Amino acid sequence: MPRQRRARLGARGLALVEDSPLRWADPRAKLALSLCASLAVMLPLKQLAVFMAAFAGLLLWARLLPEAARQVWRLKWILLALFLLDWLLVSLDLAVIITLRLALLAGAFSLFFASTMPGELRLALEWLRLPYRYAFSLSLAFQSLELLGDEWRAILEAQQARGAWTPPTGWRNLSGRLRDLVSLTVPAITLAAKRAWSMTEAAYARGFDSPHRQPYRRLAWRPLDTWLLIGSVAAMAALLIWRYTTAWNG
Amino acid sequence: MKKRYFSTFELVLLALLAALVVVAKISLRLPLQLSGHSGIFWMAIIIVAAGIVPKLGAVSLVGLTSGILAAFLGLGDFGALNTLLSYTAVGVGADLALWLLRNPENLVVATLAGTLGHMAKFLVKWGMAAITGAPVGFVALGLARALLGYLVFGALGGLLGGLTLRALRRAGFFAYLAEKR
Repeated sequence: MPRQRRARLGARGLALVEDSPLRWADPRAKLALSLCASLAVMLPLKQLAVFMAAFAGLLLWARLLPEAARQVWRLKWILLALFLLDWLLVSLDLAVIITLRLALLAGAFSLFFASTMPGELRLALEWLRLPYRYAFSLSLAFQSLELLGDEWRAILEAQQARGAWTPPTGWRNLSGRLRDLVSLTVPAITLAAKRAWSMTEAAYARGFDSPHRQPYRRLAWRPLDTWLLIGSVAAMAALLIWRYTTAWNG
Repeated sequence: MKKRYFSTFELVLLALLAALVVVAKISLRLPLQLSGHSGIFWMAIIIVAAGIVPKLGAVSLVGLTSGILAAFLGLGDFGALNTLLSYTAVGVGADLALWLLRNPENLVVATLAGTLGHMAKFLVKWGMAAITGAPVGFVALGLARALLGYLVFGALGGLLGGLTLRALRRAGFFAYLAEKR
């Protein structure tokens, strides 16, 4: 069973598989790999089936298969309905290819998001020439999730205790309760603005926006990353060549 | 010093609002059996962001940031790529709607912008299914019930956003913001 670290935010959390061999791979290589995998939706059935088998093997090796399977499992009813409709009204081939493509789209990026920390994505985005200020705001948003989650819960409990808000139980209540919902949004926005101001002041005090800023952490490209990149590009090239040679011969 | 499009305070505020979108999505579950009901708070925060930082691109930035956060947290039904794109589409859709309609404090404008923004999310879902080659009619049929939910909750969310902006103005929040900027 892969060990997952989940940040505390209610029942949800960061679905990070810490013991994955891809955990320490460079986020740029993983991003390229996920993008290559997503592009495979363009392949015809036979090549797509081969690619899916190879991709599942890669996920299994990387201990990310349960995470990808979880994403696909959420789609089960949609996949089932589409499969049956396509099969009954068009053909079995179409039903299979669409199911595979949807499953691939749902699972492809779990390879990236289940093995990468947001801070690493920030570094990759900076490398891709995204201005530092925007990359900083992204990691700030991530770090504030838990804090804002606590504040949000406190507002909910306080307003419920005051009788200012109770969850609507049905449609009839909903429209009448809309004004009551303002009692949740106003304090949440006000607190967020106050916090934003404190964070801005703290950032400036630490030399944010300094012209000679240097990152504390840097991305390191390792041999594994080179192999990942070469492997993903080679696999896609091979499948595309296979596709077009089959089309010409056919 | 170079003049920036977004001040640092605005960027930080937009980042926190993006986080608030995700927090509201996770924490608040209303007992309404229709998909898209979390859009009430989601769209409200988006409309409020447009009112607080009235610049083109501000809401798109909130959408993109919340999309990245949601993808990392494994939210959404169609996988991380769809989550990222649909949250971003909400921001871009609302941004474009407000660029055309202007004042988000006007309740009609806010309701329309909320509806259009939430519909953009629905369109991404539909587009992702259509891109796989699934017959468009089947996909539309499958998502028909969800469409109603997206329309209603987008509109309610927009309206809530407009009401929130009015309440914030009455409370003197914009004077406080002007001081901070």
